[in-house]
Amino acid sequence: MRNLHNRYQNIVTFIGRFVLGGVLLVAGGLKAFKPADSANAVAAYKILPTQFAHLVGYALPWLEIAIGLLLLIGVSLRWATIIAGGVMLLFVASIISVWARGLLIDCGCFGGGGAIDPALAATVHRTYFIEIMRDLGLAFIALYLYFFPYGLFSIEKPAVTVKEI
Amino acid sequence: MAKQAKAAQGGDHFTRWLVIGMVALVVVTGVVFSITSSKTKAEASFIALKDYKLGAQVNGTVDVAQGSGLVLNPGAPIKIDLWEDPQCPICRLFEESNGAYIDDLVRTKKATVVYHVLSFLGDDSVRASNAAMCAADEGHYLDFHKALYIVQPALENSGFFNGPNLIKIGSYLGIKSKSFTDCVSKGSKLAVVQAQTDAMSKYNVTGTPTVFINGKLWQRKSGAFDLNEFRLAVEAG
Repeated sequence: MRNLHNRYQNIVTFIGRFVLGGVLLVAGGLKAFKPADSANAVAAYKILPTQFAHLVGYALPWLEIAIGLLLLIGVSLRWATIIAGGVMLLFVASIISVWARGLLIDCGCFGGGGAIDPALAATVHRTYFIEIMRDLGLAFIALYLYFFPYGLFSIEKPAVTVKEI
Repeated sequence: MAKQAKAAQGGDHFTRWLVIGMVALVVVTGVVFSITSSKTKAEASFIALKDYKLGAQVNGTVDVAQGSGLVLNPGAPIKIDLWEDPQCPICRLFEESNGAYIDDLVRTKKATVVYHVLSFLGDDSVRASNAAMCAADEGHYLDFHKALYIVQPALENSGFFNGPNLIKIGSYLGIKSKSFTDCVSKGSKLAVVQAQTDAMSKYNVTGTPTVFINGKLWQRKSGAFDLNEFRLAVEAG
């Protein structure tokens, strides 16, 4: 098992970086040039004061793009995975909070966002559950990458080959 | 679990700070770009009001028995109740498609229209609704209401609907009387505005826009608002 992991770790790491970085880059890119929508989406969670929520809505897409790029090209990988994982856990906490308070919103994860049609209330709980699972999955990838950041197609390389302990 | 060692340049502080600096620069540039583009868009929306032609006066009355709604042209055979928030983007779409037709129904006295000017989306809505009710006192609710949707900013509760901007909207339309500007800046209509929003639960209104035709809830069947669909529903009563 260990040997198997050793053998394929650089591929697994590459796939993980590709998935996590790709999702962040796409999510950020879809929102970055629709700042008003993004700001509204964050405000709709009703967690932060409105004006501060707007600022977060402006900043978040660009942070996602920057972190996504770092992961894809393989630079500052440990920092990037810490931030990516932290952001994912924040998303999970926010959606749980929204769910617990009974708000009916679109997460705005990939653009859009805001209150949804009350007629769709029946499906929204399922949507929240799927979003939480997806973000937990991405957080798990970030955790793996924290321990194994270096793989194929990475600018950053490990100093030495590490032996198993 | 075996960890991978640090990067070859792991101890290189310069590289680390360079990367952190670049990320920060990207984020800050993005925020500045976003703020300025939102601001200019909101300001530019005034230009759309430049050639606005003020309609004839239509006087309305606030009817406490109808959820404190503003009743225009009472006693017509058809009655339409409109529940809208000035900041609601879907209300803007409804107005873009059906607003002119509803205006016409009022001005030609074919229908009674009761406007419920809601403000549940936040403080900007409260101020805008107050100003709309001030305009109603001048006999220009229809015009001001239309203008609010023309300039409606994409960003909710940005503070764009503030006293000076609302007075500016009025002046673009040609509503410049002292009674109007005083009413806007003093918030003279806040009690009515509050009463209108409070009436939502009584009438089972949970979102906007909500439309009743002769007391019956109307819901669009097509994906987007369609004038013909709405007109047929109104004519069917």
